[in-house]
Amino acid sequence: MNSSGKEHTLASFEEALQESRNAVLRMASVAQQNLDHAITGLLSRNAELCNEAIADDDEVNAFEKTIDGEGLKILMRFSPVATDLRQVLAAMKIANNLERISDEAGSIARRARKIGKHPEVAETRMIEPLYERAVVLLRDGIRAYAESDVDLGLALHKQDGKLDTAYRKTIKELTKAMERDPSNLKVYLHLIFVARCLERIGDHAVNIGEESVFVGSATDIRHIGPEALSEMAEDYSV
Amino acid sequence: MNSASLSPIAMHKENIQSSVQKTGQTDRPVEVVAAEEPSLAGRPDYIKVSDFSFNYVPAVRVLHNITMEIPEKQVTAFIGPSGCGKTTLLRNFNRMNDLIDGVSHEGHIYVNDQDIHDRNLEVISLRKRIGMVFQKSNPFPKTIYENVVYSLRVAGQKNKQLLNEVVERSLKSAALWEETKDRLHDSALGLSGGQMQRLCIARAIANRPEILLMDEPCSALDPIATAKIEELITELKQSFTVVIVTHNMQQATRVSDRAAYFFMGKLIEMDDTTQLFSNPSQKETEDYISGRFG
Repeated sequence: MNSSGKEHTLASFEEALQESRNAVLRMASVAQQNLDHAITGLLSRNAELCNEAIADDDEVNAFEKTIDGEGLKILMRFSPVATDLRQVLAAMKIANNLERISDEAGSIARRARKIGKHPEVAETRMIEPLYERAVVLLRDGIRAYAESDVDLGLALHKQDGKLDTAYRKTIKELTKAMERDPSNLKVYLHLIFVARCLERIGDHAVNIGEESVFVGSATDIRHIGPEALSEMAEDYSV
Repeated sequence: MNSASLSPIAMHKENIQSSVQKTGQTDRPVEVVAAEEPSLAGRPDYIKVSDFSFNYVPAVRVLHNITMEIPEKQVTAFIGPSGCGKTTLLRNFNRMNDLIDGVSHEGHIYVNDQDIHDRNLEVISLRKRIGMVFQKSNPFPKTIYENVVYSLRVAGQKNKQLLNEVVERSLKSAALWEETKDRLHDSALGLSGGQMQRLCIARAIANRPEILLMDEPCSALDPIATAKIEELITELKQSFTVVIVTHNMQQATRVSDRAAYFFMGKLIEMDDTTQLFSNPSQKETEDYISGRFG
């Protein structure tokens, strides 16, 4: 069903679109679960959870290929236009972003396993607020897509700005800790990379929000700068 | 003589003669470069339709207050479900509907700022300016050569060299020359469906019209023949203003610069084709083009 609420005359087209959409949402769920496992594994020093996050990345990779393949089939078989076309393109691009998010989760899990082999440092907790911001961004990005919520999609850039600020602050703190406690240099270095992964996850979530705006409003908001984006958000909410 | 005062045939002859003089070659047909031809001067900016309504019989109104502008030397596609009025409007552009009893209209259609229903305008001269290609190819049971020069012969043209020139130029423009140059005097009925349709296009442009109307020109053709016609349409717009009625959405996106969606005799939306097919402004348009109609 498209934005007008009418079903396509061809039931098989409607089903293919719905299946593509559902696959993206299932993929998002697995990617987010991988991120949860990786972070929980880091914070609780649980290597099993880290291993799960790494192993389950294969499932996300498979989703990406399936969604791309189905998208190609839809383009070939049904030649969609307007909202339907944007829906198919967005599904393929969001799948790519989710795959990258899951890759970042895998990187976090690998570093968490290595961190677990060293003595625990208090600064590990500094990752938690970054994770909370990143995961909210990811959920909102997916919600914007699932509910075709253009307002929410437009709001993600601002949220990401807060994550970026928190990230820079964390890097500063971890750098200071490295100077203060050189014996745990490797652990702090791993934590810096973990923070970097979360910052990148925020960027991918923003990309997902951008695709949702594209689906809902046919507007390409990539690379337009914060001022133009704010204006657009104001215009759209009026 | 001022070219503006010449009849289309005389203008055509003058153009060819001037081209021959320029090249200094008289022993073979001259390939005319349309963009440089003086006959293009004074071509219409567009077709303007102003608050136009049309009735088949007094009680049956099939077009309602259509207002639109069709730009010069671009391809404009009319889309919409069967019975929405797109072909009726197309056939009004050259007053083909006048042949039906009981029809009436309100409003105006202008071609090159000239009201086509002006009492002083001869319908024949209007139709010379507007070529038409129909859904089903309709070559005359004559040779390929005679099909192309038919309208010139009817107008009394007997100059063999001129007719030869017209045949070669028209068939080349219709991308049919290479396939037919060695059998110009064979029956046109021996051509394939796609070739017949291109012959009809060659016949339609032989008289150098300003506008070319095409009513589902590919609906009876296979994909290869369709591709050839579509490629031809893209080339023809260098010289002609093309209006095409099509039920094939992909064809409209491939060949047209502007697209207009009609429903129940009303113009719902007209826009650049890319815009109309990527982000139509009207919900009815989106429902139709994305297959959510009915």
